[in-house]
Amino acid sequence: MGKIKQLFTLVGKNCVASLQRMKLTIAFILVTSLQLSAKTIPHSRVIPKLQLTTQNNFVTDDVKVTGKVTSAGGEPLQGVSVLIKGSAKGTSTDGGGSYSLSVPDGSSLIFSSVGYISQELSVNGRTEINVQLQPSALSLNQVVVVGYGTQRKIDVTGSISSVKGVEINKQSSQNAVSSLQGKVAGVQITNNGGPGSSPQVRIRGVGSLTATDPLYIIDGTIVSDLSFLNPNDIESIDILKDASSLSIYGVRAANGVILVTTKKGHPGKPQFSYNSYVGVQIVTNSLLMASAKKYAFLVNEKLGLPTVPEYPTTDWYKQILRPAAITHNHQLAVTGGTKKLTYNASLGYFNQEGLVNKNDYGKITGRVQADYKINNNLKIGGQAIYYHYNSTDIPGDIFYQAYVAPPIMAVRKANGNYGDPFDYNVGNFANPQASLDWFNQRSKGHSITASVFGEYKFARYFTFRSNFGLNNGINESRRYVSKDSLTTVQHTSVSSLNRDSSHSRKWVWDNTVTYERKIMKHRIKAMLGYSSSNDKFTSDGWSVNNVANTGESSLKISNGDPASVKHNFGGNEATFLSYFARVNYSYDDRYLLTATMRRDGSSKFPSDNRFDNFPSVGVGWNITKETFMSNQKIFSNLKLKASWGKLGNASIPTNISVARVDSGGIYNYVFAGTGGVVWHGANNTVFPPKSLVWEIVKESDLGFEMGLLKNKLTIEADYYDRQTQNGIFSLPILGTVGTSNSSVLGNFATYDNKGVEFSANWRSNIRSLKYNIGINLSANKNKVVSILGGNVDLYGGGLPVGGYLTTLARVGDPIGSFYGYKVTGIFQTDAQAAASAQPNAKAGYFIYQDQNADGVIDSKDKVILGNPNPKITYGFNSGFEYKKFDIQLDIQGVVGNDIYNANKGVRFGNENYTDDFYQHRWHGAGTSNTYPSADLSGANLDPNSWFVEKGSFVRIRNVQVGYTVSNRLLERWKIQKLRLYLNAQNPFTYFKYKGFTPEIGGAPMSTGIDLNVYPLSATYNFGVNMIF
Amino acid sequence: MKQPFSTVLHNKFTASLLAICLFFIAGCSKSFLDVAPIGQQTSATFFANATDATAAVTSCYGHLNEWRVAGFAHLAVTSITSDDAEKGSVPGDAGFLNDFDNFTFTATQFEIDDYWTGQYAGVNLCNQCIDNIPAISMDASLQARLVAEAKFIRAYHYFNLVRAFGGVPKVDHVPVTADELNPVRAAAADIYTLIESDLNAAVSVLPASYPAAEIGRASKGAAMGMLAKVKMYEKKWAEVLALTDQVIALPYALMSDYYKMFRVAYENNSESLFETEANTFANDCGTYCQYSEVQWVRPVGWGFNVPTSDLVNAYEPGDLRKAATIIFSGETTQDGDVIPLNSPNPRYNKKIYVPSYVPNACGYGYGRDQNRRILRLGEIYLIRAEAANELNDTAKAKASLNIIRNRAGLPSINALSQANLRTKVWNERRVELAMEEDRFFDLVRQGRAGQVLRAQGKQFVDGKNEVFPIPDRQITLSGNKLTQNPNY
Repeated sequence: MGKIKQLFTLVGKNCVASLQRMKLTIAFILVTSLQLSAKTIPHSRVIPKLQLTTQNNFVTDDVKVTGKVTSAGGEPLQGVSVLIKGSAKGTSTDGGGSYSLSVPDGSSLIFSSVGYISQELSVNGRTEINVQLQPSALSLNQVVVVGYGTQRKIDVTGSISSVKGVEINKQSSQNAVSSLQGKVAGVQITNNGGPGSSPQVRIRGVGSLTATDPLYIIDGTIVSDLSFLNPNDIESIDILKDASSLSIYGVRAANGVILVTTKKGHPGKPQFSYNSYVGVQIVTNSLLMASAKKYAFLVNEKLGLPTVPEYPTTDWYKQILRPAAITHNHQLAVTGGTKKLTYNASLGYFNQEGLVNKNDYGKITGRVQADYKINNNLKIGGQAIYYHYNSTDIPGDIFYQAYVAPPIMAVRKANGNYGDPFDYNVGNFANPQASLDWFNQRSKGHSITASVFGEYKFARYFTFRSNFGLNNGINESRRYVSKDSLTTVQHTSVSSLNRDSSHSRKWVWDNTVTYERKIMKHRIKAMLGYSSSNDKFTSDGWSVNNVANTGESSLKISNGDPASVKHNFGGNEATFLSYFARVNYSYDDRYLLTATMRRDGSSKFPSDNRFDNFPSVGVGWNITKETFMSNQKIFSNLKLKASWGKLGNASIPTNISVARVDSGGIYNYVFAGTGGVVWHGANNTVFPPKSLVWEIVKESDLGFEMGLLKNKLTIEADYYDRQTQNGIFSLPILGTVGTSNSSVLGNFATYDNKGVEFSANWRSNIRSLKYNIGINLSANKNKVVSILGGNVDLYGGGLPVGGYLTTLARVGDPIGSFYGYKVTGIFQTDAQAAASAQPNAKAGYFIYQDQNADGVIDSKDKVILGNPNPKITYGFNSGFEYKKFDIQLDIQGVVGNDIYNANKGVRFGNENYTDDFYQHRWHGAGTSNTYPSADLSGANLDPNSWFVEKGSFVRIRNVQVGYTVSNRLLERWKIQKLRLYLNAQNPFTYFKYKGFTPEIGGAPMSTGIDLNVYPLSATYNFGVNMIF
Repeated sequence: MKQPFSTVLHNKFTASLLAICLFFIAGCSKSFLDVAPIGQQTSATFFANATDATAAVTSCYGHLNEWRVAGFAHLAVTSITSDDAEKGSVPGDAGFLNDFDNFTFTATQFEIDDYWTGQYAGVNLCNQCIDNIPAISMDASLQARLVAEAKFIRAYHYFNLVRAFGGVPKVDHVPVTADELNPVRAAAADIYTLIESDLNAAVSVLPASYPAAEIGRASKGAAMGMLAKVKMYEKKWAEVLALTDQVIALPYALMSDYYKMFRVAYENNSESLFETEANTFANDCGTYCQYSEVQWVRPVGWGFNVPTSDLVNAYEPGDLRKAATIIFSGETTQDGDVIPLNSPNPRYNKKIYVPSYVPNACGYGYGRDQNRRILRLGEIYLIRAEAANELNDTAKAKASLNIIRNRAGLPSINALSQANLRTKVWNERRVELAMEEDRFFDLVRQGRAGQVLRAQGKQFVDGKNEVFPIPDRQITLSGNKLTQNPNY
């Protein structure tokens, strides 16, 4: 508390101290107790009443006018300019949207703010004028964030999607990226994993095959994801999608760029906001596994044995999952400042129980941002974001364990010991409960993401800006395995302790000079820049045996057997050097041109081929600005645009072109057997890609933006043709090469992504019901254009069991298409099998189509079985406001993709089956012609069409009902705004797919191969937004 | 609007900032982009000295303990296929191993691919040594010896490959060109030539013995014995006989106690020509081998590759080797471990048995200290017996055979015809070398695999199952450049 107070006092020296203190008290009470009660807040005399002055208009000609400016959604708008018409006199609104101004009676006030339609209102003797500003779909001054700067929206020739922080915060997600799901055309987001994990993002289909994550840049700092950022700190997210807007990021841009702008301070009194939600997470689409009885049936059917006695069923998922996992999130923020100094600071706390018992994740985020205007020409600023997390971990394969564990196995035996697979004679299985109980791992980490900038205006038209960004993070984990014997499978006679840490550090230094000038109807903005950056990652692991666990502080490497200490160290480092330039030119706001050029060099490429150039050009035509359009009323905005650009991809491992040496582990050896010593082994075992060349993307984009009926209806559409040339990806290599990497990176293929993005938004009102409805659709088609080094097929998608290759890249087909035998039925009798092209098959085995009718089933009979890429990704977003109530409904989905349900074939032995399998399996002539017998082994596991299923789904992404508490009540509580809401995220997902979730993702040659056994869940939140 | 001063300031400030920028750009771009890998040595600096050469050859040995070389794939291909062993474990567990017992596997069976890639991974490690060590400036005799060791191990891998698949791609140096990276199959005879040449080179260079701390390295005797065995597969009987005579003349001696020969305490014993060394250390659990763990009695081990009743019946009455080769559930071992009567299988392999008193430094995983016996003097006597008999030196054949029989507590064999003696030697090989992973290859070599295995109810097809299918995965990746074996 003391520290917080100090912080705010420091930042907001100019504030009324007592007000400050009171507000902090409120904040503290809220944070600590979550109990909001009017009585705990001291009624105070220090708050200046906003509407005290209704009775004093008879004194002079000047009238004191006060009021509040809000957005259409009722949010107070800060920094709105309130100007007396025809004078230079005016003011701007404070953090609560309030203003106060002495105005000559009879004059008019002009309210204006970037992104809103200005309003002019005559005073007419009024002393209180409250204004609601409507957002302008395309005002002249509206800007979007582009690489190394901003651009007027009207000037944009590329394809950039902006999402406001308000939109993101409406979804109570802990990671801002997942809130983008279904919001932006052309952006496919796949949520996966447990607490703290980041979703997978794909912009415009498969970009690069080695890594698909876009580049994240937060206020100029490159970061690898947004997990460290409190979504409430986000002002806006701009997604650069086409080459003309991306190429300014050159070699790092092939997978798109996500620019995050955080909230900045506004001049005015300190304004506090408190946002909080408490939620519960519940598993939704759980997969029904076979019961004990059905399992016993299946296993014995497979073995040809009479059915064994019945056991009670253990539902292993139910056993390890929490019935309801609690999440809570609190954030307190303050913003304010003077004309010279503005600041914004926040403190957040988030805690999430994992779906699995014992799994807990907590994070603290803190952020301080300040800008200081030294004089009219020189501005400096900076921000620092601190992130700390703490988690109690669960075994990485716990869901897999629950998926395969025999349901006949008891959690515990009658004597209290763990149920043991040995008692059931089914093979080695972990008892998932024993795994959970035994697993003792904690991890924590912290990071600082900071940036400082200086901006200097000189020679009238020039601005020099230097920005240094740093992202420094440390992750630590410790795992302790106690000496124990839980089951015949889970035991050890030696305790062990592992302590691992990793350190990542990225810095980037950007320097730009911008020239901006308007000469007559010519508007020119030119920028020249230079950037250098460095990404470094190191990991350091220690382990030791025989540590006595007498509490957390005893778990030190130094407390173990010194002879057993092991240490390993690794890492990678990459550097980038870039020069870039951009020119924006517009004539009369009608004809637009953007041209960029970037020259990039990276340590990731061989020294003789390190630099490449990345140009782009874009043109636009604002048709509505033409005189011939001036008399029409239909189009309020109509813009055509076209662009072309070249991008590069550096998302490849560091030093891949250097052959490396593997050492230790299996390469070590001991001579003289027992009593001998370890000899260090090392050798060239990594097959290096020969002469790797740059992977480049060339993209053309054609699009239009349209505003109809005074921008009530806005439509944007883009067509793109994006070709990845010399695509770098990893492919399995022949066994005869004999290297430890069974796959190798190389420039293997050129492929296209062609697609259409469309979004339409309708914003209007029916009396006092305000509403907006938006849809976005994107269709993408991926096709391999050529395979480098000859017209051969390339294979990938190796499965963990058996290494079966399930995908291929073939000219003319989507990259990573599923590939295998086409199942035409099931052998009903052994005789039928014996007489077929599969003489080793038995009754109940798949009949594979003999494509070339040569009487043998071999690799020549394999065909393409499906496409892992969705044909269409769509989202539907809507919002309704009626008086104090607001409702949001977001729906999203994908259509037309296939999934390889690999889980059906991950079988070593007597793993459990799904209930669906039990219901449909072949178990005697005539029982099934689609599902095989319980003997899922041998040729039945060869990649085939049975494993390929449809992956379309539709999901209610977010439903929210909010209620804004009436002003009268708030005044008494000295709160400017209080909104309460209920929110349901992912409450409903509909799909026909027979796995846990149709959202699969995965590396490009393995996209859509489902090995996920983590169930989907819904989150229900109750939240509070408060400004005071 | 304060003009003069601020303009000066502007200019100075701008100029200095730009100067800093330019300096940074001009000064550091070259070195800034040269970044060394962290924590991993690059090939460019490897094979620089004797330490690297030694470490590289060590890696060839280390790989002999690898899962694909010593685990499931190895046991599936060499043992479960034979009449000595069957899948074991509990019903349904790793059921795919039954496809090896029954010869119902197809080319997509992944253990076959593992067998292939495991051997070739070993070949690569050896090729790296054979290609690179000669260029190192180092002690010449050590240099020659290390290369010879690598050649011995390469020969071992190719011997496994040629026996399992017939002709395979001959990768005798680190592949560079496109054709070398996607090679075609060589004829089996060419592979045998390569093996012989490697082993001949090893014989001529390797020392007869090593200092105590380095026992386990390939020796002259190991190379000579291996060469004899290889030539036995080629039926070059005169050369086999000469080589076995030479090996037997070396200072090796049969262990008097057949049981003890396979215990951890008697690793690298007087009879051992070559074995893979496995041991666990508290600070290095990477030097283990799971060879024993996958075979040992459930639930401590995994219980796979268990002896068949047919093997039990193959022993003559009074053969001491039966109790040293087969564990019968319910028994108490010679080292005092009680094998539960209710173990899932009636029999287990005793040759991989590690007594419970042997410490396990890693704390988990049974038997990770067990060495895998690859070649021993006992087999050399039987190879000599077979060669001598084929060369009609029946007396020498019987003498050799009887040395082995007598050690097993069995009476000597007297007069027999060449044909009968051949069968006698083959039978002796079976029981002497039972569960030592040669039986299937022996049956194929002897030309009676179909007859013997079908009698055990296996679906062995003549003209097909003498070799395994080339892994479908490899054929696919080769773009069908690799051809399939007949009838697969």
